[in-house]
Amino acid sequence: MDFELTEEQQLVRASVREFCEKYVEPIADAVDQEPRFPSENLKKLAEQDWLGIPYPEEYGGAGADYLTHIIAIEELSRACASTGFIVEVNTSLACFPLYKFGSEEQKKKYLAPLCKGEMLGAFALTEAGAGANIAPGITTAVSDGSEYVLNGTKAFVANAPIAGVFIVVAATDKAKGREGLSAFIVPAGTPGISTGEPLPKLGFRGALTSEVILKDCRIPKENLLGQEGEGSAIAGITLDGCRIGIAAQALGIAEAALVESVRYSKERVQFDKPICSFQAIQWMLANMATEVEVSRHLTYHAAWCYDQGLPYHKEAAMAKLMASETAVQQTDRAVQIHGGIGTVKGQKVERLYRDAKITEICEGTSEVMRTAIADSLMH
Amino acid sequence: MLKVITCFKWVMDEADVKVDASSRRLILDRVGYKISLYDRNAIEEAARLQEQHGAGVVAITVAPPTAKQCLKDALSRGPDKACFVNDPSFLDYQPAQTAAVLATAIKAQGDFDLILCGEGSSDLYTQQVGPVLAELLGIPCATYVNKLTCVEGEKRIIAERKLDDCVEVLSVQLPALVTVLPDINTPRIPTLKQVLAAGKKPVDHITLDMLGSASEPRLQTISILGATMERRRLKFGTEVEDIQAVIGALLKEGVIA
Repeated sequence: MDFELTEEQQLVRASVREFCEKYVEPIADAVDQEPRFPSENLKKLAEQDWLGIPYPEEYGGAGADYLTHIIAIEELSRACASTGFIVEVNTSLACFPLYKFGSEEQKKKYLAPLCKGEMLGAFALTEAGAGANIAPGITTAVSDGSEYVLNGTKAFVANAPIAGVFIVVAATDKAKGREGLSAFIVPAGTPGISTGEPLPKLGFRGALTSEVILKDCRIPKENLLGQEGEGSAIAGITLDGCRIGIAAQALGIAEAALVESVRYSKERVQFDKPICSFQAIQWMLANMATEVEVSRHLTYHAAWCYDQGLPYHKEAAMAKLMASETAVQQTDRAVQIHGGIGTVKGQKVERLYRDAKITEICEGTSEVMRTAIADSLMH
Repeated sequence: MLKVITCFKWVMDEADVKVDASSRRLILDRVGYKISLYDRNAIEEAARLQEQHGAGVVAITVAPPTAKQCLKDALSRGPDKACFVNDPSFLDYQPAQTAAVLATAIKAQGDFDLILCGEGSSDLYTQQVGPVLAELLGIPCATYVNKLTCVEGEKRIIAERKLDDCVEVLSVQLPALVTVLPDINTPRIPTLKQVLAAGKKPVDHITLDMLGSASEPRLQTISILGATMERRRLKFGTEVEDIQAVIGALLKEGVIA
């Protein structure tokens, strides 16, 4: 059994950490508070080859493994969860279905620019009556000659306001339920597709999320991703991969909470002693460190399963469940350790506290994760 | 083609060094390693010459075999090839001994034009290896360099030395050795493709036997203790007669004798 990261993975961690110290951390507060999209870092992230890490070089990727991507997401999220999410959504929700199900032509046309950062991608699945259950909602795609006509409204689409291309899941045959869903590639700017105002969210505030409105949006038949009826399968496997990424985000957030808490507890003096000398604080820190380590092992193991070609549906759900709930608990403790100052804007733990909550919800709530894990026990 | 050799040292990451509060002993069991900071500037300068003048760059280090991880790190930063001169005894080599090993290994590499070193290492910072190496190779040496220009078509460099009270500009005939200050450049953060490509670049593994000459390690570390800061929280007045009180306190604490 080998728990050691490869030399390359260790170097990537060091590179991303250095990059974050230099470019990501200094603007993270502004990105959160204004909030704004960290556009100045996007080109740099692309130059570092971090927008399409696990995809082959011929499609603009870096040709590394998924664990390397996970390490990059962990490190980015440690500094700025919004930046981590922007990259994660692009890589796992937009690039992945194109890579896995796209034709050669679709990969060249859409995957390559996404990996190179020439544009960002978004994945439009959730709607008012549909989400992680991957059930048909109101969005439909009707065949009309050489085109499909898409109608409906998608909700909570991450990266939507700045996306260059959307992967849209829509019902081609409502009577078939989940089996009647299909996935489509819809470039931004196609007549009939528009995005709503960015939502003023609790966390991940610099990662812009909005509605996507499809109104008689006509796309050529060649923009069907995979086959008709494959939409639910595409969405399912795409979400599985992204759940490992969200676990990595939660891991990064929890690690940052731990680092901040250790640092502050050594500095803050009460009753003539630094508060880290009190057992109450030490036990909190000990629990935080242990749970972070548990989350890391589950997350890396899920990524390892992905890289080995092993099933990872259950492992991804377990990693996301554990890491996201850890992040929520640890950031709560981190604010507690900081006391009053921990509730003030501009304090990193205040931001981490809000960002952590998103990881329990996006790409499937903790309840959906438990359902997925329970399902795997029943079958 | 300009042939550049850049020397680097694999050092403990000081951020990972912890100090035991009671004994002041350094706790090193979880320490990570990195390329010494100024050596990263030397490697970056070599990479810049590579990009601007098509220089061929060899990165060389003298280290214990356990430092193997340094190779991909260095190669991801630009050099075409690495030269890993390794032996467990190198850990206890004096700077002059390290320079002697480097000199032998560099001579074995054949012709070169320019050797770049960091001004000093992040751990010992003796600033000796560069100048001693130049002396052993019989080539000119420019230290404290914060700007380097390669004169196209001539085997010559213009080196700006940042000294205490002035900037000295030297024209140096190659081959030569230059030690660089951190102001000379900003080392790049390797891209993922550069990291992945590093493992495919050639590495010469050179052992002590292959060098043909060995010397006993002359450095013996007897003890290293962490520095501690204890605040006495003494307060003094600003009158002339208070000076005696300040001196008395300093004598008592053993700061002055």
